[in-house]
Amino acid sequence: MKELVADLRQRLATARLGGSEAARTKHTDRGKLLVRDRVDALLDPGSPFLELSPLAATGMYDDAVPSAGVVTGIGRVSGRECVVVANDATVKGGTYYPITVKKHLRAQTVASDNHLPCIYLVDSGGAFLPMQDDVFPDREHFGRIFFNQANLSARGIPQVASVMGSCTAGGAYVPAMSDETVIVRNQGTIFLGGPPLVKAATGEVVSAEDLGGGDVHARTSGVVDHLADDDRHALAIVRGIVETFERPVTQSLAVHDVEEPHEDPATLYDVVPADTRTPYDVREVIRRVVDGSRFHEFKKLYAETLVCGFARIWGMPVGIVANNGILFSESALKGAHFIELCNQRGIPLVFLQNITGFMVGREYENKGIARDGAKLVTAVACSVVPKFTVVIGGSFGAGNYGMCGRAYDPRFLWMWPNARISVMGGEQAASVLATVAGRPDDEEFKEPIREQYETQGSPYYSTARLWDDGVIDPADTRRVLGMGLAAAARAPIPEPSYGIFRM
Amino acid sequence: MKTLLIANRGEIAVRVMRTARAMGIRTVALFTDLDHAAPHVQAADDAVRVGSYLDIDAVVAAAKTVGADAVHPGYGFLSERAAFATALEAAGIKLVGPSASVMEQMGRKDAAREIAVAAGVPVVPTGTDAAYPVLVKAAAGGGGKGMRIVRNAEEMDEAVAAAKREALSAFGDDTMLVEKYVEHGRHIEVQVLADAHGNVVHLFERDCSTQRRHQKVLEEAPAPTITPEVRALVTSSAVALARHVGYENAGTVEFLLDSDTGEAYFLEMNTRLQVEHPVTELVTGVDLVELQLRVAAGEPLPVTQDDLTLTGHAIEARVYAEDSFGGFLPQAGTASIVRWPTGEARTSTTVRVDHALESGQVVSTSYDPMLGKVIAHGPDRESARLALLAALDDTAVLGLTTNTGFLRALVASDEFRDATIDTAWLDHVDIGAEVPAPAPEVPRMMAAWVSAMLSASDSVTHGGHPFQADGFRLGGPPAPTLVDLDRLVVVDRSAGTVDGVPFVMVSAADHVLDAVVDGHRVRAVVNVQPDVVEVSFRGQRHVLTPPDRFVDAVDAGDGILLAPMPGTVLDVRVTQGQQVAEGDVLGMMEAMKMELTLKAPFAGTVTAVGATTGQQVALGARLFVVEQEEA
Repeated sequence: MKELVADLRQRLATARLGGSEAARTKHTDRGKLLVRDRVDALLDPGSPFLELSPLAATGMYDDAVPSAGVVTGIGRVSGRECVVVANDATVKGGTYYPITVKKHLRAQTVASDNHLPCIYLVDSGGAFLPMQDDVFPDREHFGRIFFNQANLSARGIPQVASVMGSCTAGGAYVPAMSDETVIVRNQGTIFLGGPPLVKAATGEVVSAEDLGGGDVHARTSGVVDHLADDDRHALAIVRGIVETFERPVTQSLAVHDVEEPHEDPATLYDVVPADTRTPYDVREVIRRVVDGSRFHEFKKLYAETLVCGFARIWGMPVGIVANNGILFSESALKGAHFIELCNQRGIPLVFLQNITGFMVGREYENKGIARDGAKLVTAVACSVVPKFTVVIGGSFGAGNYGMCGRAYDPRFLWMWPNARISVMGGEQAASVLATVAGRPDDEEFKEPIREQYETQGSPYYSTARLWDDGVIDPADTRRVLGMGLAAAARAPIPEPSYGIFRM
Repeated sequence: MKTLLIANRGEIAVRVMRTARAMGIRTVALFTDLDHAAPHVQAADDAVRVGSYLDIDAVVAAAKTVGADAVHPGYGFLSERAAFATALEAAGIKLVGPSASVMEQMGRKDAAREIAVAAGVPVVPTGTDAAYPVLVKAAAGGGGKGMRIVRNAEEMDEAVAAAKREALSAFGDDTMLVEKYVEHGRHIEVQVLADAHGNVVHLFERDCSTQRRHQKVLEEAPAPTITPEVRALVTSSAVALARHVGYENAGTVEFLLDSDTGEAYFLEMNTRLQVEHPVTELVTGVDLVELQLRVAAGEPLPVTQDDLTLTGHAIEARVYAEDSFGGFLPQAGTASIVRWPTGEARTSTTVRVDHALESGQVVSTSYDPMLGKVIAHGPDRESARLALLAALDDTAVLGLTTNTGFLRALVASDEFRDATIDTAWLDHVDIGAEVPAPAPEVPRMMAAWVSAMLSASDSVTHGGHPFQADGFRLGGPPAPTLVDLDRLVVVDRSAGTVDGVPFVMVSAADHVLDAVVDGHRVRAVVNVQPDVVEVSFRGQRHVLTPPDRFVDAVDAGDGILLAPMPGTVLDVRVTQGQQVAEGDVLGMMEAMKMELTLKAPFAGTVTAVGATTGQQVALGARLFVVEQEEA
């Protein structure tokens, strides 16, 4: 496990660098701050930053787009948690690849779910033109960014933009659609068509600054509201803007005094086997995540393969649902019951997912395991309290659904570096496909299938495609969950209601 | 003596009360409205309000009301006013000091000089006896007023005339004295004590040569540069003088020591307890106030000259509310945090602090700017000097600027170490060069560290918050904290650096940060408030304020002033090529029943004037162009 974590840290360190050294030097030579330095300068002094999917686009686009060219996450600005979306101009000029769009939209979803103000630090050449068919036209493509801005603003979720570089074509709408906008003089530009396009279209020759520079937009066009001298000045103005937001009056979660776990979270490396096939007691994990290592277990003696119970994380109450083996009918019923309890009490749910699936076989099918599995899935799907999922091991098949996979809208979903995710295990898939093809013992047939599942089951394959919000160091689980819970605490929780539970 | 009224305020009132209380005497303070909660009022058993500490009738009436047997005048205020002494004598209340007549005689410089000559005390050659350079000074003068240095005969008439004018307006008396001017003088003074029974002793001398515009800054005992012969001369002269005038109580006889010739001349006699009396107390072991009170009560002096010996060396530094590195401007304000050295016992040195300034107290310019005195004693001058240096390091006043940092730098200087500072040195030297202002780098780093630490702990409520400011980052080292002071400082607490310089915190409690910065152990008092951080480091107060990023150069625009509305030009006040300062009115115009003033956005040159008086201008008409001066 320690090796897996070391590998993760190495990958993160590389991704954090952003573009090539030449690109970075060129960027800073213009007096611009690097994207993560911008984020640091925007956030309150010492604020933590819950970066989302820093390893997005890993292994995609020839590995040329670290972090998908955009930094997103949650940090504190002027004392309140905000979602930050910041383009990295050192990565392909900050242009939007398909995953960049997905990551930007995901950040807006986080803002929407958790009622967090959005701050856009814009420095982007717009859509990545060679891939326009995967970036521009569809529902969840570029246009959705502005749709979201309008609708978030409509719901009273503030939208603030700081234009710190180009903002061309569609990108021009990020500042234009924002509630309040800052631009950096002699650096930020906003125009629908840049100087080359203008020349091509009308023959007019105009400089970028005269076409859509800071002075133009602050004094003449009114597209922006504040003019800044440089990056730091612009970020200070943004901080000032956030200070004017009305503070949310209530927190919907009761908060108790925080207590560190009695067992050091760093010892997770020792208690969790790196190989997901080796069984261990998930309570060892829970003890290293929750306050005071105290876990008030529910139905401890019944359906022992699913561990349910109440605990606190950073003082905030949570209901924990954790796999401790394969799911049986009883496990599903226990889980559904417990999820209903948490919804009744308004207690957020934490799923610790390590599941190979529901039990199969005639006995179980005949007894209606699908019926009981459906109850669990219904409970999870209709749950109204904030949900958080950490894939701490395997995530296979319908187990993924019952344990609140990505499709079940957990507020956040994180993976440990040892996690595996696929519809079934590679070995099983190979056997199934070989059997269907009538070549049950053909190793040559099975090997590429195994390989495909091996590659696609990797947490880095997952995180590259935004199937999760990031691969995390197991020792950070408690902190990350705490930040997620704190971020989620602002949004009101509606009354629970469920679809039909198949009885 | 049962009840003593202390007709003073501040540290001296507190100091007198300390001894009086130890002697079982009830103490009564005076206070003005400004001082109703001052430390000297709190230190007293009783207190009486007066309109002014200088109001003789009110003070005497207060003494009568409380049934005071005696009044201690301290220094300053009424302490050397013969009229006060007379009024007390008339009221049958004992003044802790000499009689009104002695005070009167010694108060006039010409009379004092005659008495000195009569007592066989060496005096400065005067009148025609004195060779140039000479000093022309007012007989009734003091504080440098009505004084002129004249270096040759040609300057004489004009200097005398000017000095007379000054003296007349300041003292209402333009009697002038002319005396030899000593270029390199040291200020030596002898402490004497005399009782009503004819006993007179001296308590050796003090050297108060480190002074600025006749205001003493550092004082020490014994004098570091005099020979035994000169010491014998000045001490015996002082005793002779006191005896000659029938002096009673504590007094100080001042001499000017000519460093070039080694000759000492009588200057004047101060008929009161001096500010710098603690250095004498520390080297003689005598409580001067106690002896003052005993003498005033009619007791004979309990010590003879033979009982008095010198032990070690003492140096005093006067802490003033002034900005020494900013032209010695007087300062006022609320002393938010005040830390005096604790004077904890070290092996061979002791530190004494006489003060009347506590945290939260308001310092006004209405009274003397001296806030307190830090005095160190050691077996020799160098150990005392080092102890004083350490004590000044531990002295911190935040909320207003004091001269502590300057004192610290002065005590650390080679000149003071070598005792080469004469009375004119501070007036002639380039302060910034010879006594450099403390550099802000280390205190800035310390301030940044504390700010970063506080922002981390501020968010820790109920034992912590997931968004607490610890710089957490996913799977990487914590982000450093960016602290916006007078400039941005990067504090990396987990790596232990500030702006890349190794920084190890030793302790931080109660506003005091103890740290090792780049291998050097340092300590500072830090007060972090919203938008401003104050640090006291080596006595110097640094105020670190982030620039207001909402008032930016951008707002000044490009210097082109356009007509903000269509209207009529009422006035054009500048011409092309004219230099203007920021905010200067360039012109006026009237539009929509409003008068608009067009001002220069920054200092510069008017390069274009596009308006004439009475002209109708359209919206956006170019009226003035100001070109900014290159910085």
